[in-house]
Amino acid sequence: LPQILHVLFEHASGYALFRIKEFEEIGLLQPEVEESVKDLSRFRSVVQLAAFSPFKSGTNALDNMNSISEGLVHEDLHLFLETNVPKSSKKQKSLLGVGDQKLAGVISETLSVSCQHSGVIPEIFRGIRTHFHHLVKGLTELSAGKAQLGLGHSYSRAKVKFNVNRSDNMII
Amino acid sequence: GRGGMAGGRRVIVEPHKHEGVFIARGKEDALVTRNLVPGEAVYGEKRIGVEVGEEKVEYRAWNPFRSKLAAAILGGVDNIHMKPGSRVLYLGAASGTTVSHVSDIVGPEGLVYAVEFSHRSGRDLINVAKKRTNIIPIIEDARHPHKYRMLVGMVDTIFADVAQPDQARIVAINAHHFLKTGGFIVISIKANCIDSTAEAEAVFAGEVNKLRSEKMKPKEQITLEPYERDHAVVVAQYRPPAKK
Repeated sequence: LPQILHVLFEHASGYALFRIKEFEEIGLLQPEVEESVKDLSRFRSVVQLAAFSPFKSGTNALDNMNSISEGLVHEDLHLFLETNVPKSSKKQKSLLGVGDQKLAGVISETLSVSCQHSGVIPEIFRGIRTHFHHLVKGLTELSAGKAQLGLGHSYSRAKVKFNVNRSDNMII
Repeated sequence: GRGGMAGGRRVIVEPHKHEGVFIARGKEDALVTRNLVPGEAVYGEKRIGVEVGEEKVEYRAWNPFRSKLAAAILGGVDNIHMKPGSRVLYLGAASGTTVSHVSDIVGPEGLVYAVEFSHRSGRDLINVAKKRTNIIPIIEDARHPHKYRMLVGMVDTIFADVAQPDQARIVAINAHHFLKTGGFIVISIKANCIDSTAEAEAVFAGEVNKLRSEKMKPKEQITLEPYERDHAVVVAQYRPPAKK
């Protein structure tokens, strides 16, 4: 059965889905990806942007990151995947590469795709992380960094504020 | 305070061999970095103003007894792999005192992703990052990089000062996620945080072996005497290029 592989990449600026070029044996993909990571044009010949959905606001980005960090599927993510990831059919099997095991489990339960988080997947993520701002139109290295900066502050402030076991929160 | 280095005008600041690091030569020599936010101290450190022609440049004193990276520099480490424009993932950022000097070194073109798990130190870190926009504060457990994967881009260097028994593994999983191929790891190792019964040298050797098994090739190792006891800093390269 022919297989089609996408990977989900979560960034401070939004959700991105990448399509990996056709392959026969997933094991053969590893050395090719590893080699291509250093070179943008080679990487682009293996990994292409299929969809990108920017977060609507800072609050919306924080909501989504809180879910992602706990391995949960936010409704925005559910909608994004349902709209953009092809379903497995009798003609082809749809695979989705995901950044962590727990999230992979939840996604494969709620959508009819088989998820994978190991093998060549982490290597593909290294490549996407290297070239992300070149792969998404309208994004620059500077704007990608600004999105991380804003979300880093709001995520970290919320962590410090909403500490459930307040042992570390001494009020002087 | 102001003008701690007696007779401000007589102080001469020279570049150190590490780009972005300087030495202030006055009554006593001091390691300094160029203040990214002139007029502000971060943790009560001394500031030194120097006039370069028309321009006033401010430096901040960097105390090797309070910072392992400063101790490593004064101990003669060959390369810290951080310079203006670098992207650094800093694990074990604590209250952000050393992080603020790394922020000075990498400058406005660089970025420091600063990870700290303790909420108490984290508050101080967030406050330091408010004034220094090249620091991205991340209050999260460095053992779980997947939790903060949305916040971190690919970096040139990982600096780790986590003082945990499993620190080699912590550094390795972060490297697999975020460190570019051929990038560097600078890790501070406190012997009795790993094993309080073994000889320090044996502990360092054990940690170096763990790094080797995770595609990290040791490049140099120095002890932090006389600033810290039974501490070493190890520099390693991640996925080094194959020898021709």
